Order: sequence, then C-alpha cells, then structure tokens
Amino acid sequence: MAKNLSGDLLVASANRLVDGLVVYLDDAGQWTPRLDRAALARDKGEGAFLLERARAEAFTVVDPFLVAVSEDEDGTIEPLSLREKIRAAGLTFDAIAAEAVRYA
Amino acid sequence: MPDTHFYRYDAYDRALVGERIAQFRDQVRRRIAGELTEEQFKPLRLTNGLYLQLHAYMLRIAIPYGTISARQLRKLAEIARKYDRGYGHFTTRQNLQLNWIRLEDAPDALAMLAEVDMHAMQTSGNVIRNVTADHFAGAAVDEIEDPRIWCEIVRQWSTLHPEFSFLPRKFKIAITGSPNDRVAVRVHDVGLRLWRNGQGEVGFEVIVGGGLGRTPLIGKTLREFLPKDELLAYLEATLRVYNRYGRRDNLYKARIKILVHEIGVEKMREEVEAEYAATRNSALKLAPETIEGIARQFAPPPLRAKRTRVPEVEALKLENRAFALWLKSNVAPHRVAGHAIVTASLKPAGAPPGDASAAQMEGVADIADAYSQGELRVSHEQNLVFPHVAIESLPAVWRALDALGFAEANVGKITDIIACPGLDYCALANARSIPVAQSISTHFASLARQHDIGDLKIKISGCINACGHHHVGHIGILGVDRNGVELYQISLGGDVDFGNTALGSILGPAVEADKVVEAVDALVATYLEARIDGERFVDTYRRLGAQPFKESVYGNS
Repeated sequence: MAKNLSGDLLVASANRLVDGLVVYLDDAGQWTPRLDRAALARDKGEGAFLLERARAEAFTVVDPFLVAVSEDEDGTIEPLSLREKIRAAGLTFDAIAAEAVRYA
Repeated sequence: MPDTHFYRYDAYDRALVGERIAQFRDQVRRRIAGELTEEQFKPLRLTNGLYLQLHAYMLRIAIPYGTISARQLRKLAEIARKYDRGYGHFTTRQNLQLNWIRLEDAPDALAMLAEVDMHAMQTSGNVIRNVTADHFAGAAVDEIEDPRIWCEIVRQWSTLHPEFSFLPRKFKIAITGSPNDRVAVRVHDVGLRLWRNGQGEVGFEVIVGGGLGRTPLIGKTLREFLPKDELLAYLEATLRVYNRYGRRDNLYKARIKILVHEIGVEKMREEVEAEYAATRNSALKLAPETIEGIARQFAPPPLRAKRTRVPEVEALKLENRAFALWLKSNVAPHRVAGHAIVTASLKPAGAPPGDASAAQMEGVADIADAYSQGELRVSHEQNLVFPHVAIESLPAVWRALDALGFAEANVGKITDIIACPGLDYCALANARSIPVAQSISTHFASLARQHDIGDLKIKISGCINACGHHHVGHIGILGVDRNGVELYQISLGGDVDFGNTALGSILGPAVEADKVVEAVDALVATYLEARIDGERFVDTYRRLGAQPFKESVYGNS
C-alpha cells in the first residue's frame, strides 16, 4: 500500500486547557499527546463524526479541530501541513541552546 | 540596588495590579472548573497578556518604554526558570514573551511580576499597548528631552482607560526625544517626536496613521507642534475620533491607518482639532507639578564626568580585534563625558534573535548592577542596552558579556536581524522566521566581513502581520505559504531613519527556504561591487534602483 496523501485521513486535535499542550483524541475518547494513538477518520463523514466526539469531550481542552494526516505503509501517521507537523513534533530548532551558557 | 532613575510604582499602581491579579486568578479557576467557556475566557486572558500559541500558552510581559532594572530582570529570569523553560524572547515592542507558561501557573507568575512592579496588562487586545521609547533614552547625546517621562504619562492615562478599552483594533504609540529616530516613529498608530521650535520651545510633532502589517503605511503629520502640557488632551481627541469612525466591520481595515488613509489627513486633522477644541482645557491639561513630579522620577543618575581616553581601553583595542570591532558597533556616545551606552547583542551567530536564557538574564543583571547604575533598556531591535557605562569599565563589560555569549560585535550589521517567532511558535504565522534568521546569521558570522559590509538591517516576518517589521528592513523577508510550501518574498529599500522612512519594494518572485541565504549573499555581493565610499547597502540601492539586485538573484531572464 502506498503512502496515503489524499487528505481524506483525519485526526482530531486541540490544546490541553491547563497547559496548552498539543493533544489528540484517541479511540477511547481520551486526549493524548501521542499522535500515534489518535483515532483516525478515513473519510469526511467519519471526520465529521470524530469532530463531534472531540467537541463532546472538550471539557479539558481548547477548540478541537480536524487535522489532515498521511498514513504510511506501516500505519505511521503524520500531519500533512507544516503547521501541524510543527505542532506534533515541536520546534524545528534548538530553543535552549542559549541555556548552555552558564554564568557563575 | 534600588530602581532610582525611573518611575516607581505608588500605592495606587500596586493596588491596581494586585486587584487585577486577584481577578485573573479567579477567572482562571473558573475556566479550569468549567464555569467559563473558552469564548468567555479568551478576552479575559488576552487582556492579561496570555495567548494560546501552537504548543502552549505564551505570556507577554510589558516592559514599559523598554526600561527595566537589574532587579526586575532577575525576577523575569526567576519566572522563566520556575514557570517556563528557562528562557524568554525580547520583542519588537520592547516586551518579553515566555513561550511555555501553564494556564494554572499564570496567576502565580503575574504575582511574582507584581513583586517588582511589573505586569502584563494591555500587551494584547484592542487597547493602547505598551508605549515604546528610544532605547538610548536618558543617556543619548542627541536627546532633546527624555521621552520616558511622556511615555509614563501616557501609560498612566491609557491603563484601563474606560473609553479606550474596546477600540476598533490595537493601538501602538512610540515616542522619541531625539532627531535620530531609534523607535520607528513613522510606522506607529501614533508617533510622537519631541523637537525644539524656532522660539526654543520643546513640543511634539504628532504623527498618525503609520503602521506595517497587511497594509503598510507611513504616518502623516497631524500636528506640527503640540505644546507638551496638551499631550493627553490631544491624544484623547485623536483616540476619540478613531473610536468613533474606525471600522469595526472588517478586522483588516480597523487600524487607524486605514481611517486616515480613507478620509485623508486633512479631514482627520479637522475632526481631531474639533474634538480637541472641546477638551483642551479639561482635566487632561497637564499641570506643571504633575509633569515635574513624573520628570523627577527620571532624574539622571549622578554620573561624574570622567576621562574619555583610558589607556587600558586603548591598549585592548590595539591588541584585540574583536574588542575593537565591538567598540565600533556596540558602543555609543553618552551625554556625560567618560561614559558610553553599551548594547548587548542578543544575536550571537546562529542563535534565535532576541532570546535569552534565565542564566543570561541574571548575568546581564549582574553587569547592570556592577557597571550601569542597575539599569537596562530593551531595544525594539531585540537587544539589551546598558545606558550608563564608564569608558574605563568597557573592557570588563565586554569580557562579562563575552562570557554570556552577548558580546557579538554586530549591532546594526547584517546578523543583527529582527525576526518574529514565526511558525515555530505563532498560531498566526504561515512560515518559519527563526530558522531563516539562524541560517543568515551563520552564513555571515565572520565579524570582519560584517563590518566590511557595514550597516545593513535584515527584518524577517513569518506572515503578513509583519511583527518582524520586514516592510522597513533594508532587506525585508516575508514568509508565505504557497500550497503547503514555505516561500520567502524579498523586499529591498525599507528604512525607518527619520526623514528617510520608506517601505521596501518587492524584488521578485518568492524564493524557497533553502535559497534565501543564497539570495541575500547575491544582494550583498552586488552592493559590495557597486558601492561608492561611505554608502550603506540601502544608499546603493537607492542610487542604483532594483535592477542590478534583481539580476543578481533571478538572473537576466
């Protein structure tokens, strides 16, 4: 199976209320920071249902929304857009290099 | 060391900030408990400077007119270490942003800030934002009057101003007391420039309707000369006209610059003057004792004139090239003989522009205590400034800064880049800014080369909101998203120097991320080949026009 880049595959994401952490809705209706555990919608209909579920579980998160993802042959999912790749993986540079400078 | 040379909170200020924190603490509690929806809570957190970005909450802390004491900076470091990830980002509005604050910790962080008379109010929302000032204020040789006195007066007037708490859009004011513009006064909603008229009186030129963002415009003079004691009445009239006629139906047309552009500056002036005529002799007319009371708090530190030629400095200059270059680019003259203004570069080669770790902030605070009267400034160019350093202390300050990684001799040079946080942090951005700045900074790291190139300002924004001021960069770089690919649009010829304020012109089609350094290199090579004596990059561009620069990037086709 080739990598699915159709844009039909969707996961639900949000930011966690208490700390803003990026989270995804899993199959059990829990919010997890792990993208690999996110519930996957395979078409627009499933996506609409997933978003509805996410909104129903939004007590501990802020503004759920759908993220288009790709799926690899081994089932690995990855966001399609750069914005969502950065949300999933974190900063693209070493933010605390400066912290390496110690001052006594 | 006490904060003795700028405004100190009184009981009223402390009570106001304390009440605000107590309110916010309760609002956060109710939000987490589910008693407030996000729709209800969002405007409350924003008015306390708390944004929700891509990965986390971001707290934007106000540093009024960029003036901060060593004690305050140490507290910022403590907050960064305790409630964030041990670093912060100094911004183009002279503020500090902490990028990883937890919502539940935000009230405690604000309470710690209040311990040193600081807050985060009005760093967001459609209100009058933190007023910016010349970062050399109170020390500059060319200063007519200290602009911070007027910034503080404006701060007191505008903080929680009931009539201006729901403006059509955010409102940014900058004040300079010098003929050399270091605050970009013509690209603000209102820019105020202190100057002396033919009668020897000092007053304000009031400039209105400047701004960057989606629709960049250079401000126009609304009032050539405004007596100083009429400042608040005139500002109130201006804001009242904006509040009345500014558009609220379209987010992108809501800034005062659009109003001024649409009705014309003459009509704007007519409206403001009519409003002003009705209010000029109200309670807003500033009594001399009010002005003097504020001015006393900005009394200059008691610096004694000292020798200007110090043998140790001269010797080090001869034996150490890095120190000699640092003296040229990072040290400016001071109004008191034997003293200097020192800029600590927060742009070491390859680092995110404007970032400082908690350890670095503490180190800078120690230097300020030891050598600069315990005072610092934040520049809108995202550096930190020691305003009062004795020339004899320059070697010690340089060594201490070198140990912190902040002694890069690059102020005003090609690697002294302004960059917004971009897509790595910002929910509005379309493309990354910091990695682009890092690539350019690494490529041009050689200080000898930078000094050969001379003054060249690169400004990078990750979206059209232009937080990185790309419109006024000698080389401006704007990140755009084309079908999911980051591309960078290059513009040339922007400038904020007074009398030469200009918006850059787009050079040609946007280039891919990995071609930006190559393009900048080609632009610099074209300049170096064509410049005549004394010309900066932007001067050569003005003389020759865009064509040779365009050919260097895109070829002759």
